[in-house]
Amino acid sequence: MFLIRVFLVSLFAYVFFGYLCIPFIIQGISMEPTYPNGGVNFCWRLRYLLSEPERHDVVAVRFAGSRVMLLKRVVARGGERVEFRDGRLFVDGKEIEEPYVRLPCNWNLPSRRVEKDCVYVIGDNRSMPVENHHFGQTSKRRIMGGPLW
Amino acid sequence: MVNARYLLMGVFIVIIGIIFAVAFFPSEEKKVKKRFRLLSEWVSKSPEENAFTLLQKMKDIGTLFSDPCELKASDESLSGSYTRQEISAHAGSARSQFSRLDLAFYDLHIALPEKKIAKVTLTSRLTGKSISGEQVDEIRELECLLKKIDNTWLFTQIEVVQVLKK
Repeated sequence: MFLIRVFLVSLFAYVFFGYLCIPFIIQGISMEPTYPNGGVNFCWRLRYLLSEPERHDVVAVRFAGSRVMLLKRVVARGGERVEFRDGRLFVDGKEIEEPYVRLPCNWNLPSRRVEKDCVYVIGDNRSMPVENHHFGQTSKRRIMGGPLW
Repeated sequence: MVNARYLLMGVFIVIIGIIFAVAFFPSEEKKVKKRFRLLSEWVSKSPEENAFTLLQKMKDIGTLFSDPCELKASDESLSGSYTRQEISAHAGSARSQFSRLDLAFYDLHIALPEKKIAKVTLTSRLTGKSISGEQVDEIRELECLLKKIDNTWLFTQIEVVQVLKK
């Protein structure tokens, strides 16, 4: 009986933490101060099972294989135009309030349209030069889920 | 009793036969995986590497690629078609910038859509230390196309998957 319990608990843990709620360690400063470097979180895979990623959602984007993910924030959806003027974000020509961006930003990025079935993702830390920050348009199919907190 | 002994011997011979077949007649997937293992081994560099090993590895790297081999990357300056000699030269030049270099491949998904074509999706991780002391840790998803030419799997096309497009 004990062995059966151990087996069932192990099986549940394997499926839950291996496929549904994947633990990860944040490496890098691109989401600071919201998600600091070295922090631990879980990627909830069912987050977008019945819904689509919305603007301001933090998502885990599959970067390589099934182990490497990028933690980024959705700022625009398919069909929308996104641009930066002096560090301020504009979507379809309208300025977007971003209370989560607390570090200074002076980015300028010409307007571009987000392709269908894609989202535009950026980190919260935009204090570095625009060319040093890993951001841009990605396919919705690469979104693995969202962080638990 | 005699029958049982023959039966045991038969089972033993079958097991030995299976081990022999697996060891000496590897599947195509294993042969493809071996090419990645060799690429990883020959690109990687230890601080103690001597000049002879360096030259040998440079020469060996070229033999893994078809002539020419196409590279597709978001960086336009890297994309293009390269001959074996060019690949060996570029690899040697890149390796010389590092005192230590490790190339590892993970999550290999191998598909064989045709008898002599293999499509492999994988994660590559390049870690190392440049001669100026800078640490390098680059991870990319790659899509590789290998063709079996003269009974050898050769890299024909390597594409760096662009996850984020600015």
